[in-house]
Amino acid sequence: MVDRLCDIANERNIAVSCFYLDFAAREEQSPSNILGSLLKQIVGRLEVIPDEISRTFQDYKKVIGGRGLRVAEIVRMLQTVTSLQPTFICVDALDECVEKNRLEILDSLRQVLEESPNLRIFLTGRRHIRIEVDRYLGGRAAVLSVEPSRDDIVGYVRMRLSKDTSPDMMDRGLQDEIIKGITENIPET
Amino acid sequence: MLQETNTKKMSVSVTDNINSFNNVLIHNTIADNQSEILKWLSPLEPRIRHQDVRTRRVDNIGERLLHTSGFRKWCDGAQYKGSDYEILFCYGGPGVGKTYFR
Repeated sequence: MVDRLCDIANERNIAVSCFYLDFAAREEQSPSNILGSLLKQIVGRLEVIPDEISRTFQDYKKVIGGRGLRVAEIVRMLQTVTSLQPTFICVDALDECVEKNRLEILDSLRQVLEESPNLRIFLTGRRHIRIEVDRYLGGRAAVLSVEPSRDDIVGYVRMRLSKDTSPDMMDRGLQDEIIKGITENIPET
Repeated sequence: MLQETNTKKMSVSVTDNINSFNNVLIHNTIADNQSEILKWLSPLEPRIRHQDVRTRRVDNIGERLLHTSGFRKWCDGAQYKGSDYEILFCYGGPGVGKTYFR
């Protein structure tokens, strides 16, 4: 998805920033680190770092041990940089972060959107997250249900079979049988 | 006379070198500062995870989703103010391929 957006973005000069949430990395994936990372990717492609950001950096460097940004400050900076150009922000697997952090991220994204009419946000997560997305971003969000199609599953199984380490052990008939066996068990949607 | 010209030439060349050295120095300081600022914004590097997703993905999986009118509207809206939806939320059970569709 991110690659697809990057293709579209390259043609149209749109910035793309993405984040994959991961339950195993929940300690380091704090709201300020996540939002900061989204900001970092957008700032990284600008020719000049906006004054607001470099000035704050210089000020905070003077504090003993250096000082990190608070979420509210990152939100303001995101508002600034996403107003400069059309931007896509993608956040994958919202269900993989703890509820408190997730709500803070959704609320922050809502605040950024309010100042940036050319920002588009792409989110994924499990079904139960929909309630929270509606609550925080309701009215602004189109909702799509993702279900794998039979063709997707056959395509994936074929790819895995083609990478099998002992291809000589498996003739065409066995391959077809494996695919048939798997696809027969796809629940009707 | 000849010696004087040579000295002059040498001095110009030294000045040039100093200027170019200063330019490199200024340039490097800005670049260092930039990477320092970027690191300060966040220590996390999601590009690594993205590379991982990219190598494990099968092309064209979930392609049909990108042709739905919901996706098109959302995507094209980035250039036009006041589009209906600024956010696209895709949901599904574990392992259906939310992360991997292209």
